[in-house]
Amino acid sequence: MTDSPYAPLGVLEEQIVVAVLRTHGDAYGMEVRREIERVTGRDLAIGAVYATLDRLESKGLLASDRVMGHGSSRRLFEVTPAGARALASTRAMRERLWQGIDLVGLTALARGRA
Amino acid sequence: MHSDPTPAPRVHRSLPRLPAALLRALLPRAEADEVLADIAVEFDQHAAAHGRESAKRWLWHQALHSTPALLGWTSWRGWTGFQPRANAYRPGGPMFTTWIADARYAARRLRARPGFTLLSVLTLSLGIGGTAAVYGIARPLIIDPLPFANANEVGAFWMSGWWTEEEFVHLRGSFPGFRAVAAHRPADVTLRQGDSPTRLIPGIASSAELFDVLGARPLIGRTFEQGEDAQGAEPVVVVSYGLWQELGGSSSILGQRITLDGVPRTVVGVMPRGFWYPNPSVRIWLTRALNPQGRNGSYTFLGRVAPGADVRAMESHVARLTTMLGERFQYSERGDKTKNALITPIRDQLLGSMRPAIVATLTAMGLILLIACANVAALMLGQVEGRSTELAVRSALGANRRRLTQQLVVEAILLGLLAATVGAAMAAGGFRLLAGALPIGAWSESAAFDWTMFAVALAIAIAAVLLVVLVPLSSLWRTDLRGTMNLARTGGIQGRGGRLERGLVVAEVALAMLIASGAALLVRSVANLYAIESGVETETIAVVDVLGSRDIPADARLRTIDEMSSALGALPGVQSVGAAMKIPLRGGGDSFGLTVEGKDVRGQTSYFRIVTPAYFQTMGIKVREGRTFDGSDRIFTPADTVGMEMSVVVNEALAAKYFPGENAIGRRLGGGFGIPQRIVGVVANVAEAALTDEPEPVRYFLAGQASWFGPNGTLVIRTARAGDAAALLESARRTIQRVAPQFAVQGTTTMARVLDTAVGPARQIMTLLSLLSVLALVLGAVGIYGVVSHFATRRKRDWAIKVALGLPASRVVRHIVGQGALLVAGGIVLGAIGTAALARLLASFLFRVGTIDSIAFTAASLALLAIGLAAAFIPARRAGTVNPADILREQ
Repeated sequence: MTDSPYAPLGVLEEQIVVAVLRTHGDAYGMEVRREIERVTGRDLAIGAVYATLDRLESKGLLASDRVMGHGSSRRLFEVTPAGARALASTRAMRERLWQGIDLVGLTALARGRA
Repeated sequence: MHSDPTPAPRVHRSLPRLPAALLRALLPRAEADEVLADIAVEFDQHAAAHGRESAKRWLWHQALHSTPALLGWTSWRGWTGFQPRANAYRPGGPMFTTWIADARYAARRLRARPGFTLLSVLTLSLGIGGTAAVYGIARPLIIDPLPFANANEVGAFWMSGWWTEEEFVHLRGSFPGFRAVAAHRPADVTLRQGDSPTRLIPGIASSAELFDVLGARPLIGRTFEQGEDAQGAEPVVVVSYGLWQELGGSSSILGQRITLDGVPRTVVGVMPRGFWYPNPSVRIWLTRALNPQGRNGSYTFLGRVAPGADVRAMESHVARLTTMLGERFQYSERGDKTKNALITPIRDQLLGSMRPAIVATLTAMGLILLIACANVAALMLGQVEGRSTELAVRSALGANRRRLTQQLVVEAILLGLLAATVGAAMAAGGFRLLAGALPIGAWSESAAFDWTMFAVALAIAIAAVLLVVLVPLSSLWRTDLRGTMNLARTGGIQGRGGRLERGLVVAEVALAMLIASGAALLVRSVANLYAIESGVETETIAVVDVLGSRDIPADARLRTIDEMSSALGALPGVQSVGAAMKIPLRGGGDSFGLTVEGKDVRGQTSYFRIVTPAYFQTMGIKVREGRTFDGSDRIFTPADTVGMEMSVVVNEALAAKYFPGENAIGRRLGGGFGIPQRIVGVVANVAEAALTDEPEPVRYFLAGQASWFGPNGTLVIRTARAGDAAALLESARRTIQRVAPQFAVQGTTTMARVLDTAVGPARQIMTLLSLLSVLALVLGAVGIYGVVSHFATRRKRDWAIKVALGLPASRVVRHIVGQGALLVAGGIVLGAIGTAALARLLASFLFRVGTIDSIAFTAASLALLAIGLAAAFIPARRAGTVNPADILREQ
């Protein structure tokens, strides 16, 4: 069923791969962190972002290359085909999980608890 | 205005220094600059929006929250060796990463060579563990401060243990040059609580000044106060922490009375844990009324010098003191306190005698460690030379020498960590054993293994491996790596002959020679000591020391001793039981004045011994003339001595000194009891005070004619067979507790052990050094074996060709063994030079052996030579028996 050889991405991994895609070719570490913060409102630790980027690259899900920027070079990330597959399969798996969940009932439950 | 040529650092400059430094330290080096630049941009934006203070808080938050992730990241990179493609051309990876990678590589290499690893770790850990353990034992004795504040201002008077109450009372308050002086003497006491058997508590009786002189404060309560040692004062005691715990450990003990020697005494204070004086076995300090006429001469004087005075420079004060003594007291020649007067600093007084033993042991352990280091260095060197092709290839591929160096260092440190762990475990396991084996008396009980020894083991290990790694490094830095490659390609014979490696083995043999010849010297010395005829039977005698309450009258005491003797005589396997107030080989004991009827003998003294009739036969003391005591000697009480005569047995030394060429039997002596003493027998001399003393005149009196005036006594029990004496001790102790509950058993031992103790520290040092020299010889043999087999391997192609051309294989063997012999001989010569210097350390233990002793030296050399040749023979034989065709086909 799943065509990815990789284990499904973790939450932070998923967010980071998505953020790399969203930053459209300007995906260096700090920009990725900023993007996630902008969208989710989470204040992420820089260290965690860099470490995760590195680990994703070692798994072959991201690739990095150096680009000369303002006087110094930067490591820019892009999603590899394998990364794209992993992201897609993670999303597909989540959707399968969500199938059959009564969203109306869930919202009501959430309100009741709140 | 000038422009800044380096824009990148300018960006960082806006960052607060501390969090930026933290981040920089944690980031991989290749990316630290760019990440910090990004953070600086973000920081500036944050500062512009929310103010600098808020931005600072943000940065701190970032730095602290990033720490775990960054640590994980960096070490993960190191572990997996992952470097992103983007960093491929970045200068230098981070240090941390390569270190981890090297550690991994080293771990793999060590796993791949279990023989080398095991040998190195075991060798090193023996040296490390031994040194750490001896250090742990030595520390409280020669490094730690003494457990009282005035240690640097306190000294002991000369003729320690020979002073009297009379002298103390006379001088008290007027000791020139001293703030205060205390007098104390041993006072073991019996403690009886409820129905439990009487216990012996080792103690000290002192004048009131003792604790003030020492500067020791109690844990609870108080110490002695002025006047508490006066006649009629209430007797008080201070107890040790350990004794306090045994008595319940409650502070309500203060003011309570405990019964010591049958006398109730008030406990006024408890000393803190860790306090000891004069040694850790003493558990109680008591006052005893000082008698201004007291002639009991077993006191030690301890003085605290006046403010500003130096305890090591008291000559002028001491001179005044001896004048004061000379004016008031008359001294016999042997006990003249006006001569050789000297103040000994308290530390030397208490621990000084142990120092040579500890220093000798520590030195020997250090030598073992050095041998181990040399061994491992030689092994590593062999490895480096064996790897020279690999290293050459790596260097051709771009690895620089720094990186190769780092790899060797990491490998050495890994070895060191392993060795430290094993060594610390060995130190912990062997600690008790070693503490018991060292001649440190009561301190062996109080020596305790603690965590600092792990730290010490680790420190020694790291120092040792760094020393070790210098050797292969120096070889690495000298080697022309490219030249090696050429050699390797052609399969040529290596020109360089491992000079460094051979030097190491020579050093190793030299060090082993030091230890072995030290051990041989001690073996000779101890053999000389044991060869002395002690005059008593030592193999079959059990010894039980008892102590009765001081309040038991002398005649009742003797009755009880007789009862104990009969009860012990009824035990299975016992042949006879005697008793004496003091047995041979345990110090001089009391002397009495001596007169000889019909001769003008003045100012003479002799030892005197009070014994039961069976004593001579039990101890195996030979009768030379006449008889020993028997039923014909009347027992009398002090009341009816008029017209009475005591029987006395004298030793040969007395007979020879006062009756040369005459018959001593039937002659009469006087002195000591006010009753004439008729000589009934002459017995052989025995070693009285110490094994090495010249024979001294002794009078033996019959217990009953002479009163058993001391509270203690020693029962000697002769058994049928040598092994039985030790086995008897426990039942003897129980028998005495049953028959005489008012007596405490002070200790049980055998005459063989009394002799061992009399032989002294030399015996224990000898045992230790002998064990260590065995270890040194084994390590030396391993080293020789390693180097010779390495030598043989390196030259095997060479020889294979020669053998193929007709050289007999035996010549090959002879040549290789010859190489080994050359190394050993070199080591022996070097070692011999060092031995002469080092033997001085042992001088205080030597008896009738010079520090340069040809027999000891020859024995050590021969042992080394034999072991060295044996170790060289194994690889030589292997080299001589292989088929040359096999070797030539190998490459």
